[in-house]
Amino acid sequence: MSRLLLLPALFAASSSIAEINPDRAQFHYRMHCQGCHMPDGSGASDVPQMKGQIGKFLRTQEGREYLVRVPGSALSALEDDELAELLNWILREMGETSLPDSYNRYTSAEVGKFRQRPLNEVEAHREKLVTDIEHLTESP
Amino acid sequence: MNFFDRFFERRSRDLAHRTSRRGMLTRFGALLVGGAAVPLLPVARAQSDQPAQPVDEGDSTSCDYWRYCAIDGFLCSCCGGTVNTCPPGTEMSPITWIGTCENPGDGRKYVISYNDCCGKSSCGACLCMRDEGDRPPYRADKTNDVNWCLGTKSATYHCSTAIVLGVAFDR
Repeated sequence: MSRLLLLPALFAASSSIAEINPDRAQFHYRMHCQGCHMPDGSGASDVPQMKGQIGKFLRTQEGREYLVRVPGSALSALEDDELAELLNWILREMGETSLPDSYNRYTSAEVGKFRQRPLNEVEAHREKLVTDIEHLTESP
Repeated sequence: MNFFDRFFERRSRDLAHRTSRRGMLTRFGALLVGGAAVPLLPVARAQSDQPAQPVDEGDSTSCDYWRYCAIDGFLCSCCGGTVNTCPPGTEMSPITWIGTCENPGDGRKYVISYNDCCGKSSCGACLCMRDEGDRPPYRADKTNDVNWCLGTKSATYHCSTAIVLGVAFDR
């Protein structure tokens, strides 16, 4: 009986991590990302385009960590759970066809871990990741 | 003349007696105009991506206007533009400083984008420095002491707008 009672509690705990509140996520996007990445994530001048691109980074573990370690994420004033929600929302809303067929959403625990190592040489790191991912796509 | 020819001839003449070509044109015209009006109905408008518009009271050429709570610069409203648009001859920066302001008209907080207008020398009229929510330069995305004419052809600052992006999320 006690095990049966535990099941709904477990479901509640796991869903609370992954649940996205779209109003809150969009508000955080506007406050912390949109000023440079544009309302639809299309980027501007030297600001990278997220729209239709960001999902590529989920193809490697380094790429997955990169989205949290970029200064805009890692050094933002957001709590870990807020940042996880925001990243999951951006992926869902802007990933489009760049998203892998299936992927795990960010949890606040992994976001808390990855953001401890913010990137300094962002552009060079990004270029290397993009090259790695392109090779991954080309290989059979 | 076979049966089919006679049948269709009779039907065609009947139709020509009962209707007019102008009548048909009138109905077709009405359909076109009516069809064009459909997107104006409230249902279609409710589905558009326009942000929620606030009760907008106050003088947009005054520093006290509610949207200017975090502004640091010249008001485009005093420089030939408006609170939402740049003066002629300037270009709006796509990269922008974003904050929130409380609207006394409805008591709600709104997300405001302070897009700078660039490409002409400083306007010089209506300098406002309210700076609420401004942070030191180590919080680069929340400091307004830098030139936000980024991503424009010219980096020369002229004036600032204050555009409502939507309602702030209420924690």
